[in-house]
Amino acid sequence: MEPILTIEALTKYYGKGANQTKALNGITFQVMPGEFLGIMGSSGSGKSTLLNCVATVISPTGGRMTMNGKQVQSLKGAALADYRGKELGYLFQNFELLDNMTARENILLPLSLHDMPEKESRQRLKQLSSYLEIEDILDKFPSQMSGGQKQRVAAARALILNPRIILADEPTGALDSKNAKVLMEKLNGLNQDTNATILMVTHNSDAASYCSRILFIQDGVIFHELRRDIPVETKQDFYERILKVTAQLGGGSANVL
Amino acid sequence: MFSKLISRNSKRNRKENRLFFGSLVIPVIAFYMLLSLSRQDVMIFLEKLESDAVSKLLSMIPVFYGLALFILFFLIYYASKYQLERRRHEFGVYLMLGMRRIKLFLLLIAEDFRSSIVSLAIGLPSAALLSELVSLITARLVGIGIINHQISFSFHALLGTAAGFLLIKFAAFLILSGKISRQEIGSLLVDTPDGTKKQLPSFFYALAALSGICCLAAAYFRAISGIAWYRNTQMGLTILLGLTGTLLFFWGLRSAIGLAAALSCSRRRLHAFNFRQIQETVMYRSNMLAVCSLLILAALCCFGAGIAISRFYGSGTPHVIDYSFQDPENMGSSAGIRNALNDSGLNDCFQNLFEIRLGHPHAPDDMDGVFRMDALMSALREAPASDSRDVLLNNLSYADYPYTISLSGYNALLNAAGLPLLSLDQEEAAVYMDASYVSQEGLRLLNTILQTRPEAVLSGHTCVLTGPVQTTNLVADRSITLSFALIIPDDVFDSLTSGSHSVYLNGILAEELTAHASLLSAITDMNDRLDAEHIPYESYLKNMGRQLFYMVAASYITIYLAIIFLIIANTVIGTGFLMSQRKSGRRYRTLIRLGADHETLCRCARKQIHWYFGIPVVAAAVSSLFGVRALLGGILSYKAKNSLNEMMLISAIVIAVLIVVEWIYIAAVKRSSDHYLLKLTVPMREE
Repeated sequence: MEPILTIEALTKYYGKGANQTKALNGITFQVMPGEFLGIMGSSGSGKSTLLNCVATVISPTGGRMTMNGKQVQSLKGAALADYRGKELGYLFQNFELLDNMTARENILLPLSLHDMPEKESRQRLKQLSSYLEIEDILDKFPSQMSGGQKQRVAAARALILNPRIILADEPTGALDSKNAKVLMEKLNGLNQDTNATILMVTHNSDAASYCSRILFIQDGVIFHELRRDIPVETKQDFYERILKVTAQLGGGSANVL
Repeated sequence: MFSKLISRNSKRNRKENRLFFGSLVIPVIAFYMLLSLSRQDVMIFLEKLESDAVSKLLSMIPVFYGLALFILFFLIYYASKYQLERRRHEFGVYLMLGMRRIKLFLLLIAEDFRSSIVSLAIGLPSAALLSELVSLITARLVGIGIINHQISFSFHALLGTAAGFLLIKFAAFLILSGKISRQEIGSLLVDTPDGTKKQLPSFFYALAALSGICCLAAAYFRAISGIAWYRNTQMGLTILLGLTGTLLFFWGLRSAIGLAAALSCSRRRLHAFNFRQIQETVMYRSNMLAVCSLLILAALCCFGAGIAISRFYGSGTPHVIDYSFQDPENMGSSAGIRNALNDSGLNDCFQNLFEIRLGHPHAPDDMDGVFRMDALMSALREAPASDSRDVLLNNLSYADYPYTISLSGYNALLNAAGLPLLSLDQEEAAVYMDASYVSQEGLRLLNTILQTRPEAVLSGHTCVLTGPVQTTNLVADRSITLSFALIIPDDVFDSLTSGSHSVYLNGILAEELTAHASLLSAITDMNDRLDAEHIPYESYLKNMGRQLFYMVAASYITIYLAIIFLIIANTVIGTGFLMSQRKSGRRYRTLIRLGADHETLCRCARKQIHWYFGIPVVAAAVSSLFGVRALLGGILSYKAKNSLNEMMLISAIVIAVLIVVEWIYIAAVKRSSDHYLLKLTVPMREE
């Protein structure tokens, strides 16, 4: 099976000379179709930088990113906009819904950005809103929604164009535990049922336990990887393994199991 | 360090915001132009002729200056508000770093003072130059000539401009910095858009928009039908209806925009986003947009009125006679004047000197009923009903003791004017009316009736009234007008007036005198010579001076106000858009993450700018169609109103000015918007 996303020796340096900070220092990994990949690490470890590089929000200093056979760094203009809109779905920590637009308008926003025909997307909107249980709030404004509803609307927006990969940046960061659980179950369901590929940055171990694989990053390098042994290993067991790794993160690679 | 920061910030402000810096230069120019009015060539010239009126106008300048200060305060307020709003985050950081509020206040004051000095440094020379140019151009246009040109620079105007500008700048700044310094650091650090606001059911907004349109329609109807001009209270009511209508319309407009957003067709890029942004603006700033629309309307009306006044005022009758003399010691003869002119050698300066005799018919007992024209009046009464007919019926009902004019004198006048001469039988009398008393339609009506040769009785003699109605001015002094008179053969005139008549000696300057200089300077020279000889006279110049005064005063003031209104409205709209765009920065960032490129965002923002400017401008333009028409109808003469082509030309000029101003502002706002969006796009990617 061909990987959807291949990252090779990715580097991102800030500053020059003695003041140089290596946010990413040669990261290599692959994301396979239908995979639910988590990236964990402490603050400043480089996980958000990695996600931002993939999302083309920032340009890496070196290395290669290949999405579906295309060099991401070489994309420019319309091709870059298409990559962002059609290949990627982005789920923000703070939802980033436009507060002067209804849920429906927010979800359909990527369509209007990428000149997509509305007819088939209406069908997809129906499916997604039904699955994410947001049918009743489609004509409401974000100020009239709960945090969980907002994030599910944001999820629908990220999924509306049926992207190859969903990038989620701390999607449960602004949610209470109940809403976080609902969201993660929905994302997990999407991954299981529709084979959606998800790349999620988080430092919430519970959220991470929904993943099929987790990369731990520290000081800009991958220093550990956990794979969930599906279907043998339960979510609870995986969660405990994650907790052990995160507990020992402070000690560096010597302490990792 | 502190002064370095001030210098750097002040420079950056000017560089990043040329449009708004330009808006600060405008008040400087406006103040200077106003205060240096008394130094303009036209005003100096007019002061010699119409010293009372000019002194009155110039004594009004402080009041007008106060009004201009008040109006331009808003321009400065909005321009400065935008400057400060866009730096909220920076102020938050200063405060977070421990800068005391008083120090921040001082920093802002010092920065502002620096910018003000630069504005004055640029504005004052530009204003002096512009004032000089206006002085020369108007002098050239009205024919004073530029030989006696005086430099219009005025130190008094310079001081007044600097003081006024700094005063309103400081006042605006105190209010704005007070507002900023009261805010919490947190709210300064984060740009939050206005967001959604609790809304009433859309029925109310639709109802408001509808009531607004009804109020406006009522106001337009009252203005055009003339009801508004009857009394001050009627005018007040009309203006109130117009204001209420505009405010209600803009308040209710959100329902229509909401509907457009809801019916959005996603084929067009960011259609829903654009409409929601516009809707938000209309929701939060409906009053501001309404006021801007009213300001643009006021500007259009002032422009229209100003140009029309300058074009039409006093241009109703052609100029024939340069001088009229009347001997104050013997009004019934021109011999004294002729002798005086001969003795002084001024006789040769006139190519034509002729007498006009006029007087009342001799009525020893009762002045009532000296003249009756029942046939004409009954024919008028039977004519189809119209305003002109009613005006004529009313005016002519008072014509029972008219002046009579001797035919020979009037024919000499017609000859000088190059018009066909009159030929009258003993029993005939030609009707004379001054052009200002009768409309074109009235003239047509009267001429039709006169073709039937209606009979009339003058001092017991039956005569036949003939047409067409004569309207050529009898003397140079345009303040002497006759609403109704009869031109009769000389012998009839002599017998009716029994020798008690007035004689005016009219003169037309010799061609060689006017060939080398403008008529105005030729008459000015002749006036000096006549004054030296103590010969009493009325010259065309005085009338022209009077006309020129009204023309200059009215058109100067209206056009001046129009420019100020237009600039304020556009600055407020422009700053309003850019401020709301900055507050929506986060939304634009989200769009970038969702795949919008810089070009798409710019296109989307430009569309919003078109709408944002378009709504108030179109509303004002539609209102001005009625407003300008009503205003011109109310203030201009019949003749001007009949000149449809001229009116069209005026409208075209007004529209062209509006388009140019809007284009400049829209282009400048688009530039600022593109620049801001580029900043949003680029740093995130280069980080």
